Amino acid sequence: MDGYTTGIITLLAINCIAALGVSLFTGFTGVFTLGHAGYMAIGAYTAAILTVQYEVNFIGAIIAGGILAMVFAYLIGIPTLKLVGDYYTIASLGLGEAIRLVIENWEGVTRGARGYPGIENYSTMPVALTFLVIMAVGMFFLVNSSFGRAFKACRDDYVAASLLGFNTAKFRVFSLAISGFYCGVSGALLGGFMSFIQPVMFDMAKSTELVSIVVFGGLGSMSGCLIGTTILTLVTEIFRPISQYRMLVYGLVLVLVMVLRPEGIMGTNELTKDYIKSIFSRRKKITAEDGGVR
Amino acid sequence: MSAILELKDVNKSFGGVQAVKDMSFVIETGELAGLIGPNGAGKTTIFNLVTGVYDVTSGEIEFKGKNINRLKTYQVISLGVARTFQNLRLFAASSVLDNVMTAAQQHYKYSFFEAVSHLGRWKSMEKATRDESMELLERVGLADRADQAAGNLPYGLQRRLEIARAISLRPDLLLLDEPAAGMNAEEVEQLNELIKLIHSDFNLTILLIEHHMDMVMEICPHIVCMNFGAKIAEGSPDEIQSHPEVLKAYLGEEE
Amino acid sequence: MIIQQVINGLSLGSVYALIAVGYSLVYSILLFSNFAHGGFLVIGGYICYFVLKGAGMNIWTASFAALIGAGVSAVIVERLAYKPIRERTPITLYMLIASMGMSIVIENIFVVTVGGRFRALPPVIPTQPVNFFGLATTSAFDLLSLVTAVVFLVGLQLFLSKTKWGLAIRAASYNLRTAGLMGVNVNRLISIVFFVAGLLAGVGGIFLSVRYTLYPQLGMITTKAFVAAVIGGLGSLPGAVVGSLILGLAEMLTAGFISSQFRDLVVFGLLIVTLIIRPTGLFGKSVGEKV
Repeated sequence: MDGYTTGIITLLAINCIAALGVSLFTGFTGVFTLGHAGYMAIGAYTAAILTVQYEVNFIGAIIAGGILAMVFAYLIGIPTLKLVGDYYTIASLGLGEAIRLVIENWEGVTRGARGYPGIENYSTMPVALTFLVIMAVGMFFLVNSSFGRAFKACRDDYVAASLLGFNTAKFRVFSLAISGFYCGVSGALLGGFMSFIQPVMFDMAKSTELVSIVVFGGLGSMSGCLIGTTILTLVTEIFRPISQYRMLVYGLVLVLVMVLRPEGIMGTNELTKDYIKSIFSRRKKITAEDGGVR
Repeated sequence: MSAILELKDVNKSFGGVQAVKDMSFVIETGELAGLIGPNGAGKTTIFNLVTGVYDVTSGEIEFKGKNINRLKTYQVISLGVARTFQNLRLFAASSVLDNVMTAAQQHYKYSFFEAVSHLGRWKSMEKATRDESMELLERVGLADRADQAAGNLPYGLQRRLEIARAISLRPDLLLLDEPAAGMNAEEVEQLNELIKLIHSDFNLTILLIEHHMDMVMEICPHIVCMNFGAKIAEGSPDEIQSHPEVLKAYLGEEE
Repeated sequence: MIIQQVINGLSLGSVYALIAVGYSLVYSILLFSNFAHGGFLVIGGYICYFVLKGAGMNIWTASFAALIGAGVSAVIVERLAYKPIRERTPITLYMLIASMGMSIVIENIFVVTVGGRFRALPPVIPTQPVNFFGLATTSAFDLLSLVTAVVFLVGLQLFLSKTKWGLAIRAASYNLRTAGLMGVNVNRLISIVFFVAGLLAGVGGIFLSVRYTLYPQLGMITTKAFVAAVIGGLGSLPGAVVGSLILGLAEMLTAGFISSQFRDLVVFGLLIVTLIIRPTGLFGKSVGEKV
């Protein structure tokens, strides 16, 4: 396998981890966020500073990045998740930007807008894939548990959820914290992949990219999230030489999905044996009705 | 028998509008009671006050002897109250079974780490939740539809599902908000049977808001009647049916 | 010095007001946050630039073209992206997501077609220093943008209070469905609202292009207008104006007396404080839920 291919797979794994986090928060808990790139930034810079300045082992640094992002998400979430609907989205936009601005201005620690260079190349393909597998399995297990049902209840009808005894505020904050962890780890891995990070890598465009991926895959489907990430990452990487098209693609994806097929690729279905069977049995039905014309 | 729910001079205003006025009544443990009144009388507001969706403006609400004014909704629920809605609030996209399991799981909790790893108590608790939910669906006659999307059920069965979901919380007090809304006479009969069955088999207290008078008169030995936010009558079906204030509220003043 | 910054602040705030008002207007009717609003701004700026530069016209023609162009583009965006969604579902989340997508699409169409470099508008708008009653020196540009903004906002107010469509819009802002039931052509109303919002954004776009030079990401400045609208209260037009002025003043006073680096942080700080203390802002609608 050549360097180009391993690079793409590594980047794909990194994107998938962040997308899983956003999928949990937006797809499964129903809170639309435009600021999750901020948590990636926290993870990235934490890991960068720990590995470069304090020579911390990279695995510890990645996990620390995730944890710090999670703590921030939790603290930010407590006051802001009281907001409903559009208000939270605007707040998340503001918060994402605020995080980026703080990083840009805190030059002593983060080296500011010029970026943070010289990060060790610790995000090899095996490392990224290992993190992905472990975290993906954990996420699938989580949504297939009482917690998953709780998040979905908060998403579908938070009034009904609270009348079933769920502390909806607590669950939403919890969901945000976990998604923060995932984005933090992803950001930390991204730093170890690019060897260089800059605040502008974690701006509103990045946040929108994350949401775009999750919407495309299907709000409420973890396997959809992975499928969506794979398709979009591969498509935009093929366009890489003409990187200005990349954002255009993400923007168009958002608009087209919303207008034409808001449930995205998978809707709320997961890629299980039953689901695959149901696709084929529908196809069989059509051919039978055609009278075998096809 | 002790009181399970007591309202003492409860008032609720929304800005300038007084929705509930000096409301007092007692529901004894194990009763099947009815709350009636014309549209807009404030009946659903009472339910919302009890469940903590609204805060009382003044007065006290006591559940099992404990003041619950300041409690948040989920706290009230965990003390043993459950509720259904006038306008159905099922998780329409989720399956019938998932709807019930979401409620039943409150009794089979496990930790986050067990959830993420599927180790420890996850398997046994999930099985117990599923088994109890299926059993409940059997009891109410919805087991054969367990995997269907809740939103695809016929209206009468959706109402039945919402009641099943509420019961799976194992409440001591069940608040039913117009469970017979939109039903025809035959469906109302079936609902009557279901409510009586639940009342006897599940050992709970039921307080029921309803507009179908024949239903309330048939199954509720204790009825409270409201109008314009205040109690206008309380008593047995016979007493209520002949009460002048009740007749006035429903039929209007005689010219 | 302080008077100078106050005038600068008011001038900046008045331009934000043009944008925030259009944004709040759309929110008041459709109850959703149109994140693509910045796109209309950019379209206005680019039309003005190309008409001035390419066709060598004067500022009046260029502005007129820009405003009409921005307004029309807003109507097109609405018809293409939002109408199909709102006809299908009352959930505003989908339109929100689509609007974010449109914002990126518009910005990147410019990046791809005309390139991302900064362009300065030909200097047809006066920018020379003006002495303000001997108290402070400010630029003619700041005064001009303030005056223009006031003119347009007054024009909007007249439109809303004195015309038939203005009345319809005000009715719709209370309840769109009822307005429709009363005989208002809802689709046409929404198109008119978007046209007006786009037009106002276009005016803002022209002034912002002069102030900050023109580039595709200029629309990102609308994030600040969103903040202003939230501070003033989403859905309230006077709120949008007040919020914008507060924001403009806060920005300029911070830049003048503390540091220009903190400027943007102050903007987001105000946003977060507002959302935590009083999410509906100064005059906003609070949308409760019936249980």
